[in-house]
Amino acid sequence: MAVYKRGYQRYQGPVTGHAMRLLAMPRYAWERLMQQRLMIVMLALSCIWPLLCAVFIYISNHTELWSGLGGGVSKMLEINGQFFLIFMNTQATFSVMLAAMAGPGLIAPDLANNALPLYFSRPLTRFDYVLARLTTLVGMLSLVTWVPGLALFFMQVGMAQSGWFGKNWDLGLGILAGFLMWILIVSLVALASSAYVKWKLIAGALILGFFFILAGVAAMINGVFRVDWGSLINPSKAMYSVWCWLMGVETPRGMDVSSCVGVLVGLVFLLGMVLERKLRPVEVIS
Amino acid sequence: MAAPVIELNNLKVQLGRREILLGISCRLGVSGSGKAIGLLGPNGAGKSTLIQTLLGFHQPLSGSARVLGFDCHRNMRAVRERIGYMPESDSFIANMTAVQFLRLMGELSGLPRETALEKAHEVLFHVGLGEARYRTLGTYSLGMKQMAKLAQAIVHGPELVILDEPTNGLDPAARQRMLKLVREMKEQHGMNVVLCSHLLRDVEEVCDEVVIMKNGLVVHHADLEAERRSNKRFVELEVTGDDRELDRVLHEAGADGVSEGGGRWRIVLPQDFELAALWKLLAAGGLHVRKLTHRRDTLEEIFLKAVGHIQHTPGEAAAAEGQEVGVHGGL
Repeated sequence: MAVYKRGYQRYQGPVTGHAMRLLAMPRYAWERLMQQRLMIVMLALSCIWPLLCAVFIYISNHTELWSGLGGGVSKMLEINGQFFLIFMNTQATFSVMLAAMAGPGLIAPDLANNALPLYFSRPLTRFDYVLARLTTLVGMLSLVTWVPGLALFFMQVGMAQSGWFGKNWDLGLGILAGFLMWILIVSLVALASSAYVKWKLIAGALILGFFFILAGVAAMINGVFRVDWGSLINPSKAMYSVWCWLMGVETPRGMDVSSCVGVLVGLVFLLGMVLERKLRPVEVIS
Repeated sequence: MAAPVIELNNLKVQLGRREILLGISCRLGVSGSGKAIGLLGPNGAGKSTLIQTLLGFHQPLSGSARVLGFDCHRNMRAVRERIGYMPESDSFIANMTAVQFLRLMGELSGLPRETALEKAHEVLFHVGLGEARYRTLGTYSLGMKQMAKLAQAIVHGPELVILDEPTNGLDPAARQRMLKLVREMKEQHGMNVVLCSHLLRDVEEVCDEVVIMKNGLVVHHADLEAERRSNKRFVELEVTGDDRELDRVLHEAGADGVSEGGGRWRIVLPQDFELAALWKLLAAGGLHVRKLTHRRDTLEEIFLKAVGHIQHTPGEAAAAEGQEVGVHGGL
């Protein structure tokens, strides 16, 4: 029978589990994000560098293509931690730009249209809501970070001689762990900005500003006080130091890895606090 | 025995430094009975805070609140699975069509994907938004948004629907439609309804039970139907002719009357006293009726008494005068 003829009937059948309900939010968000042309263009641009890296890996593993170029080139074409570090740096930049485009549309419209009571009157907690929004961003950023990163790693494993994986297996773990930490930070910054500012455009600018302004302030502190520890307040630099450690590359001067991890954990805590404070079903004025 | 829809036990809620609910205890409704509970009170009485506490938005300072037998704080998820909530203010996702919005809300409440889509269409036709269901919610008029809010509250077929000012901003026709839908929800679909409204007529038209709050306390809780029945019916009468015997005649018929002079009378009728019998009495006494007003206490009068604006409802006042007449044998 046609729906309009049937009339309303109360649903009394089985209900889905908690995980399925949670996943409904990222699914809808991805659907909407993929309808944006700019987002598709940005995702396509983010794939260019991994493709170039894949070509590089192919060339470096086919000695017959560059055997006549001498030993210096051989050293330059080596696939090692430094190579993956460069890959990670580039993709991290794209991930920030993608987060700046996708992040503001996740929470800001819910706040602007007072939609939070509708979510929280359903069997969802604030933690569930943040988790669902985080899943949206983490899922999307994964496409341009650790997924191509691991694909390149395994491509190298497949093409290199058998001893390469034994010597460099930790690079794969480093790529995964390093990128997961990074996209967690970027996603939380995006969500916190989106929760703090109700206007999407300003929230997007805030996300970009967060990384660029902090980098500027860090450089200023280093310059004025003639120190190195100023870079600790630059989350990108702190993360870079952790990546260097994970990839077995020398860390930048004055950047102790444990301090960097501490700074990043503190940042996650702070961003969590912002979300906890802003995402309430009703505003209480004390 | 079925659990009460709402059970409050010395519930205290503090927001910031201010205590909003000051220890409320009451049991309202019976789950599965398909009855509506009206929540009334002046601004700042604590109605919204109570609703939000029932939804688990606020943690009680002390005491407890249970909905359909589940503790609102400890079993928040179980409570929220069973209720639908229509907030007072505009709440929607602007760039979604009504179908997408309701489908998402249905899925978040636990409906399987296909069922959620089916129910979204079904409920949109039910609330009269069938033709506009593919329009984005941001383009809806205020009345349409109210209907969309109602639709999202019932898309998953909850046991209890909490409606916060559902007729706000509606024109008279849309208001009637909204009230009709609320009546259908309880009468045809067996849902329990909590209706929070400033419009006493809305509550009077729809609700079976009413709670009146003031300054964070419940000042009046009554079964509305029983309240109406218990209000003595009274008649304001104006006659011409010799009415000296009327007091005795009324007394013999079981009614109490008070003469106000000039042929004006106030008469309290017993519950089973038909108005036609009064006409017969007056005709038999040779009295000509110039004016006869037959009325009961309205919810507004009950409300005004509960919040302290009047001391007695007109019905109570007339009853008191009637008793006085009985004692003193007339004025």
